[in-house]
Amino acid sequence: MIRIDCPWCGMRDEAEFTYRGDATVTRPGANAPEEAFHDFVYARKNPRGWHVEWWYHSSGCRQYLKVVRHTMTHEVRTVARATETPEVPSE
Amino acid sequence: MSVSEPPTSAPHAAVAALLKPGAHGATGGQPVRLAVRDVDIVQLLARKGRAEDAAAAIKAAYGFDLPSPGRSAGGDALAALWIQPDGWFLIAPRGTEGALARAVKAAVGDAGSVVDQTHGRSVITLSGARATWVLAKECRVDLHPAAFGPGRVASTQIAHLACTIHQRDAGPTYDLIVFTTFAKSFMESLTHAAEETGYVVS
Repeated sequence: MIRIDCPWCGMRDEAEFTYRGDATVTRPGANAPEEAFHDFVYARKNPRGWHVEWWYHSSGCRQYLKVVRHTMTHEVRTVARATETPEVPSE
Repeated sequence: MSVSEPPTSAPHAAVAALLKPGAHGATGGQPVRLAVRDVDIVQLLARKGRAEDAAAAIKAAYGFDLPSPGRSAGGDALAALWIQPDGWFLIAPRGTEGALARAVKAAVGDAGSVVDQTHGRSVITLSGARATWVLAKECRVDLHPAAFGPGRVASTQIAHLACTIHQRDAGPTYDLIVFTTFAKSFMESLTHAAEETGYVVS
């Protein structure tokens, strides 16, 4: 069970949130080649370690959050607002 | 129902009918009280960058500041509940159909968007000395007086359903705001949780 410290609502249970995937990918420009769009939609790194992810607080404040989570231990290091850029630990 | 038929004046009657008057569940303990409040519910969302204007307009019209995250303001005549950044519920005793929404819209003008949620949401009141004990069985929000209390608001899940909890007083009295369409399922879970200590419907 993951507990996420929502910047708006405080410490909440994972069940209130909806996982929305990798928060580091950015949409290519409108004239980018098809390959860039393919990577944007499908290609993910799936790292073992720290990962910046979108978590949508669907049963709480309905805000998208950036969560820095370790994919092996599930430790949550940072929870930030969507407009922020959270620091990612090197190890 | 024909299209021209006006909206019912009793949007919460079907939810209220789910509670049968009398004592239910365990006896001899400390029963909690359950009721359905007949209220008007309006959702106010400040438009982009206009939260301060909306707050000033509500202050001028109703005399209180819109609450910060996790809190409520006002009183039983009109309460404001924080539900999301720059978003609030405004709750008042049931009046003329649509009147509260029109009044709030007239107050905030183009600083906010107003949606009447009176029919879409229902408010179930859980009160009594054991109310926190019953609610703690239903949700994972920390309801201990050190973390929660009168004037506090939390949106969470109860019985897999979205629910906004508002503690109104230290009794304690909790308002549980749920989608009307899910109220029957919600009520089944809540009454089941309350049976262990007993509950009274007056």
